[in-house]
Amino acid sequence: MTTFNRSALFPGLAAVLIPIAIGMVFFYSPLEKTMGSVQKIFYFHLPLALTAFLSFFVACISGIMYLRNRQRIWDARLAASVEIGVVLTTLVLITGSLWGKPIWNTFWTWDPRLTTSLILWFIFASCLILRSAIDEEGKRATFSAVMAIVGFVDVPIVFLSARLFRSIHPTVIRADSVGLETSMLVTLLVCMAAMLVFWVGLYKFRVSLFLQEAMINDLQTDGTKS
Amino acid sequence: MKSLRQIRFLCGKDLRIELRKKESLVSMAFFGVLILVMLNIANGVGKQIDAEAGAGILWVAILFSSVLGLGRVFAREKENGCVAALLISPVSSGEIFVAKALVNFSLMLLAELVLVPIFFVLFGARLSGDPLALLPILVLVNFGFSTTGTLVSAISAGTRRNEVLLPILLFPLLLPLMTLAVKATALALAAKPLADLRGQLEPMAAFCVVFAAAGYLLFPFVLRED
Repeated sequence: MTTFNRSALFPGLAAVLIPIAIGMVFFYSPLEKTMGSVQKIFYFHLPLALTAFLSFFVACISGIMYLRNRQRIWDARLAASVEIGVVLTTLVLITGSLWGKPIWNTFWTWDPRLTTSLILWFIFASCLILRSAIDEEGKRATFSAVMAIVGFVDVPIVFLSARLFRSIHPTVIRADSVGLETSMLVTLLVCMAAMLVFWVGLYKFRVSLFLQEAMINDLQTDGTKS
Repeated sequence: MKSLRQIRFLCGKDLRIELRKKESLVSMAFFGVLILVMLNIANGVGKQIDAEAGAGILWVAILFSSVLGLGRVFAREKENGCVAALLISPVSSGEIFVAKALVNFSLMLLAELVLVPIFFVLFGARLSGDPLALLPILVLVNFGFSTTGTLVSAISAGTRRNEVLLPILLFPLLLPLMTLAVKATALALAAKPLADLRGQLEPMAAFCVVFAAAGYLLFPFVLRED
């Protein structure tokens, strides 16, 4: 315990916050009147959706930055956020379906938000497949940067086209009011904070792992040249 | 004026190759008709379909056959190292993008001249709409498909798995355009007037503008990596 390990900051915080968030979901927040305990999945669903969208936003920004200055760090950030984003979107779709089955009586419906998340999942998962198909580092970085930008640009149009479908998705947080009990809102905010901290921790780990991988690759290719 | 002449020259070159070899067009039309026949059989021999199912069938056939032609446009340049020749020629990357998109646009339009009449022959019994009413939808989809497709095919042509990656990368991006096109086509096939289609045609035009701009801006980065 002589030096403070900075890389452990966010994972450590997440390790404290996530159990607190889970505890609050089950023991602090009240039971919803009509949906009962099923509603509790919402405390994970919304933070997951938020962080998934954050990932794709970060991926798009990293893509733009990479194309501007061609630094490896931006490719690492892009790779990390696309990977995390795909995992989180998968979880959003799964938690949403689990909630939808008892409440809507169906796992899936073509609702604007569901459609948008699914299409986003497809776009960024295809970006991961693209990355796995290219060996040259510069080419992989450029191509995935372009895909991440194009994918993010697609989002407004996806939402526009999905408006064709009738929406049955609940809108909890509106521009003017929050349709939540105070204790529920507090729980939700703690869950969001926990998820955001977890996201940052995961993201930093993945970025540094990616950079280490690239450095090992550099060492190996230098070794074969000499 | 100079860039217009250069674009015309590049288009002319690609279309002349196509006219002499006829490799893309013949396979596109042939494959599209094959899909239409297969779907007709899958639908059950002798059964008639309504406008909504018909719209879906038409777009599946057009989408799958167009992807065949799209893959060839770049693969052909790669095979003889022509990308490098294009890059050192005095044309800008943006002009190459416009020329390639125009070639794709015309190839799709020519294939549709075969596919749409055959669609009406096979499925038209209960469709009251005029085939000409499909024209604005076809033009918009061709535009959106060829701009997005040109960018994505330049990406996939730079990888080892061109044929597999092209649809994987392209279709998720095109999903919103397809949703709108199917909806609009269903209305057109049910003999609704053009004014009723505005709700779909406007977002489709937005898609075209967004992807034309994104493609024009991002294409140079992709082309330089090839």
